Amino acid sequence: MAIPNFLYKGNRVLLKELTKTDFKLRYQGSVLGYLWALLRPLMMFAILYVVFAKLLRFGSDIPHYPVYLLTGTTLWSFFTECTGQGIQAIVSRGELIRKICFPKYIVVVSATLTAVINLLINLVVIIIFALINGVTPSWSWLAVPIVIFELYTLSLGISFLLGAINVKYRDITSIWDVCIQALFYAIPIIYPITMVAASSTLAAKIILLNPIAQCIQDARYLLITNETVTSWSFITNPFLKIIPIILVIIILVWGSWYFRKKSKKFAEEI
Amino acid sequence: MENDIAISVKNLHKSFRLPTERSWGLKQAFFNRLKGIKGYKEQKVLNGIDFDIHRGEFVGIVGRNGSGKSTLLKTLAKIYFPEKGSVEINGNLIPFIELGVGFNPELSGRENVYLNGALLGFSNKEVDEMYDEIVNFAELGEFMDQKLKNFSSGMQVRLAFSIAIRARGDILLLDEVLAVGDAAFQQKCNEYFASLRGNQTVILVTHSMPSVRKFCSRAILIDNGKVKMDGDPKKVADAYEKLWD
Repeated sequence: MAIPNFLYKGNRVLLKELTKTDFKLRYQGSVLGYLWALLRPLMMFAILYVVFAKLLRFGSDIPHYPVYLLTGTTLWSFFTECTGQGIQAIVSRGELIRKICFPKYIVVVSATLTAVINLLINLVVIIIFALINGVTPSWSWLAVPIVIFELYTLSLGISFLLGAINVKYRDITSIWDVCIQALFYAIPIIYPITMVAASSTLAAKIILLNPIAQCIQDARYLLITNETVTSWSFITNPFLKIIPIILVIIILVWGSWYFRKKSKKFAEEI
Repeated sequence: MENDIAISVKNLHKSFRLPTERSWGLKQAFFNRLKGIKGYKEQKVLNGIDFDIHRGEFVGIVGRNGSGKSTLLKTLAKIYFPEKGSVEINGNLIPFIELGVGFNPELSGRENVYLNGALLGFSNKEVDEMYDEIVNFAELGEFMDQKLKNFSSGMQVRLAFSIAIRARGDILLLDEVLAVGDAAFQQKCNEYFASLRGNQTVILVTHSMPSVRKFCSRAILIDNGKVKMDGDPKKVADAYEKLWD
């Protein structure tokens, strides 16, 4: 298999066709169709908003808390959807891999691209929501794609690594489900990071070393208010500051390397 | 390498690891390691295969079930990697290990043609050029915007088969795909195969000796992962039929 090369035309066409198919089939047979791509994260947001913001009174000191929460849940949904689909991609396309030769990474990328499309739709909703909520539009909004790109890179790295292991050890899917549950609480999605920082600065710093937390906080900083605590401002040591970025790079490089090494045997092992 | 050679196979070996007990999953892998069990046994499938296929040859590959034909074909199609030895391909190879790979029942006939085309490495423009011919050959013109799940199974196979033979590649690889559709469609396929002889490099894996005798310009008999006979299709077909005597 050649080095992943998006410029090679045949691969691009295949990637496009597979993504189109995935997206078309995702909501096939449901009455509301594509609307579900919007409704699911919005409903998750509604539940969390009622429970945490209204009943438990989280985030009362944060301006535009509903938008703040929505940004967090949307990016989180993106991460879980991306990795969930990505890890399953090779196994669920087993029929194809056993019968035809093509670069395997295309299957993983196409599975995750559906999540990217969904995120872009949801981003429009966040912006409308932010404007209604009185957030002032700012040039810093234009930097949000960088954060999304970082989060996507991380998801892709995880998908390559765990997706390749999943071919042989199907336990990975279940293990990842548990990890996702744990991560949800280890990242300041529903609770503001300031709440943790109030009782332990160290704990808040450790939380912010997580690239997902760093991305979500950065997105909030760029979109909503520069009062948001980010990894960059909260962690003072310049070497520790860049740990989230380093982690993303390590996971992507390691994941792609492992995936490429294992992909030769996918057809036999699936 | 000579320009005239389409496929060159040298000393090809391939074996598989067959799991002995249920070794799927982490738990079993852990216990196997603990007990020092390998968890699989090596099964030799190809034991040193050699042959060259020239441009324009129509080669039939025959052999019993489990003799290694399909593994050989999958190695030619680069789905499996050779363990030892080499496979060299000159030109664009179009594999049809199974008809209608990637066909999705929820997509329309037209969408399936484009998806299948992309899987075989064709651009949308190339499929555009083949599209009318494919639909005409399959005689499915009026159904192409219907979902594939509403096609009868015969219609699905006809569509898949038409893609297979209309796909423009230098080398065509076909595994057990003759004999599809009704009598009229078969007649058409037979005529088409007969017209291919001498113009297109085809490798056909089949159990049907009449088609070997009729279409092939050369046949190879595989037994126990080795080439047992290579040459005149009539003689090879006779030898194949004698395998059971």
